Amino acid sequence: MSGYVQGLISLSCINLIAVLGLSLLTGFTGSFCFGQAGFLAIGAYVSALMTVKLHMPFAVSLLSGMLASGVVAFLLGFPTLKLKGDYFAIATLGFAEAIRLLIENLEKVTGGSRGVPSIPNETHLIALVPITLILVWVMRNYISSRHGRNCIAVREDEIAAHAIAVNVFRYKQISFFVNGMLAGLSGGFLAHYVGFIQPSMFGIQKSTELIVMVIFGGMHSITGALLSAIVLTSLPEVLRAAAAWRLVVYGTAVVFIMVVRPEGLLGSWELSVASVRSLCSDTKSLISKCYKKVFHGAA
Amino acid sequence: MFWQEIINGISIGGVYALMAVGYSLVYSVLNFSNFAHGEVLMVGAYAGFYGLTALHLPFSLALGLSIIVGGLVAILLEKIGYRPLRMRNAPTLYLMISAMGLSIFLQNFVMVTIGPNFRNYPEVFAFDPIEFGSLVIGSLDLVIFIITILSLAVLTWFIYGTRLGMAIQAAAYNMRTATLMGINPDLVVMIVFAMAGSSAGIAGVMFGMKYTVYPWMGNITIKAFIAAVVGGLGSLPGAVVGAFLLGITETLAAAFVSSAFRDLFSFALMILIIIVRPSGLMGVIAKEKA
Amino acid sequence: MERLSIQGLCKNFGGVKAVDSFRCVIPDKGIHSIIGPNGAGKTTIFNLITGVYKPDDGRITFDGVDITGKQPHVIARDGIARTFQNIRLFPEFSALDNIKTACHLRSNYSVLEGFVPSPRRGRQERDIHDHAMELVKTVGLEDRALEMARNLPYGHQRRLEIARALALKPKLLLLDEPAAGMNPDETRKLMDFITEIKERFELTILLIEHHMELVMELCDYITVIDFGKVIAEGTPAEVQANPVVIEAYLGAGA
Repeated sequence: MSGYVQGLISLSCINLIAVLGLSLLTGFTGSFCFGQAGFLAIGAYVSALMTVKLHMPFAVSLLSGMLASGVVAFLLGFPTLKLKGDYFAIATLGFAEAIRLLIENLEKVTGGSRGVPSIPNETHLIALVPITLILVWVMRNYISSRHGRNCIAVREDEIAAHAIAVNVFRYKQISFFVNGMLAGLSGGFLAHYVGFIQPSMFGIQKSTELIVMVIFGGMHSITGALLSAIVLTSLPEVLRAAAAWRLVVYGTAVVFIMVVRPEGLLGSWELSVASVRSLCSDTKSLISKCYKKVFHGAA
Repeated sequence: MFWQEIINGISIGGVYALMAVGYSLVYSVLNFSNFAHGEVLMVGAYAGFYGLTALHLPFSLALGLSIIVGGLVAILLEKIGYRPLRMRNAPTLYLMISAMGLSIFLQNFVMVTIGPNFRNYPEVFAFDPIEFGSLVIGSLDLVIFIITILSLAVLTWFIYGTRLGMAIQAAAYNMRTATLMGINPDLVVMIVFAMAGSSAGIAGVMFGMKYTVYPWMGNITIKAFIAAVVGGLGSLPGAVVGAFLLGITETLAAAFVSSAFRDLFSFALMILIIIVRPSGLMGVIAKEKA
Repeated sequence: MERLSIQGLCKNFGGVKAVDSFRCVIPDKGIHSIIGPNGAGKTTIFNLITGVYKPDDGRITFDGVDITGKQPHVIARDGIARTFQNIRLFPEFSALDNIKTACHLRSNYSVLEGFVPSPRRGRQERDIHDHAMELVKTVGLEDRALEMARNLPYGHQRRLEIARALALKPKLLLLDEPAAGMNPDETRKLMDFITEIKERFELTILLIEHHMELVMELCDYITVIDFGKVIAEGTPAEVQANPVVIEAYLGAGA
């Protein structure tokens, strides 16, 4: 397998991990988080600094980054999760920007705007792909569990969710924490793949890219998240020449999807044995209907 | 020294106020955050810039151009990105995402077509600064302050002093009931966006004059969001109060701690208000009716 | 035995007294109704009982326990379920999933088991599925169990909302205008249905309604309010004969 394809798979997996978290928080629980880049940054910097400055083994650094990001998310949740949707979006946006500014200004520790260079490449496909697939499986499980249903209830109608004894705040908290951890993990992998990190990598653009991936594939489908992470990571690499236009197309696509099909490409469709079976039988009956129409309708 | 910073803070606060009012206006009537507000500001800034440099218009006409362009762009964005969703009673989440999409589109469209270079407004107001003892008020700051205050005054007069303004107030309170009273909701929405867009256009020119013009200058509107949150989302006077408060305090923070600290301080202020008084200084969080 | 006892309940919204010294006592297995003109404060009272609003004054006691000002999900967990005036189903869920979601109290598997399944989770999910299907059958929606809730006709949606409330195994059921928008035939069917579920699930019921024949036939006791205040109370016969009530409200009839 060529290095180019390997690179695409690596980046897709790294993005997918962050998208899984965001899908849970924004897609399934309905809390619009505009600050994903902030959590990525925490994961990236904590893990990178542990490897480079403290010479920790990769696994320790990675876990530290993940935990740091998760804990920050948990703490941030207290003032922000009780807020109405808009406030929460602005607060998370502000949070991400604040993190970026902090990193830029704590030069002695983080290297300021020049960033942390020479991070060893520890992100190997042999670990990354299985971990990613396991996480997809884990998230699928959660969504189909009673806890996942409760999250969706929170998204659909908070007042009704309260009325069926769902502790809305607690479920938002869980989703926020899990998202924090997954984003932190993604950041850690990213740092040890690209080899260097700078605050400019974790700005509004990064948060936006991740949200677009969630929207594109379906805010109601983990399979959709998987699909869009792969497609939207690979496509720009393939179309690298038109980089700036890519974002123009992104923006148009987002508006288009919202106006035409907000459920995204797959809606709530999930890949599973049952859904593939029903897809096959639907296709079969469609084909037989066409057959009958063509060959008997004319008679 | 302290008072000099206060004056600087008031100057920037005025521009924030203009941005925040436009944003709060849309929020109070439609209950969603128009994340594309900043891009209207940016378009207005470019319009004023080209008015001055390419069309060689006198300043007043260039400003007028940005007002018109800002208003028109805002109305266009509403028709394309928000109206279809509002017609379907889509959840606010979708409106916010659509706004985000419009924002990405505009920023990058300008970047690809016009280019990412920073543009500088030509110096229009070059008279001597006014001095009060040790205090200095730059000519540009003075003009900006006067224009922003005048604009806010016009907006206030329109909303609180005209029938159309009263219709907007009614719609902000309860759109459905206002419709039952014979108020055309589409007209109200259009006017609200026109007003928000025009004030954003003016703010864009002010920013362009004071700093520079570039495709992602719209990101400054996060200060408008913070100001509106501090003052109370949905409250127009709150937006103004929040904006001046933000402008003054962040300028003081920048002066007495470090300039890098400025933005960090604004976010900290927002988090503080959210924790201590989530409805903002002057806002009321309306509870959803069960 | 008292199921629900409300004393001196008050709620102001910025100077307007939405609820003013409301009182009411509902015995176990009773059917009680709150009636009054539109805007009298009936739904506000429901919101105060279920914890959506915090009262400014007064006490609400449920099964001897003071629940005043408790959080809504706690009150629901402790046995008070409700339906809404404007139907609040989960639109993206199927009819079955709406009920399954409300069945979460039947299970106790942890968040961790949500991420990584266990045998216990499998058992409890099957139990939830079976119980939800039973409730679907109770309200006669078996044929449409897998349809999206937002695609169901109005009458079915109302029944689904009641089924979802029943999934909580409540002791007290609050119904907010369950017969709204129904013709006399549908109203009669609803009345039979309410009587049936009351017997079957041993419920105490508190009802807000404008359909007077439903109220008069079904209820043991009625509280009449206007402008947030209690203006009369009694059995249906007493209330029907009360001149104060007739003047404020019943003159228009139904």
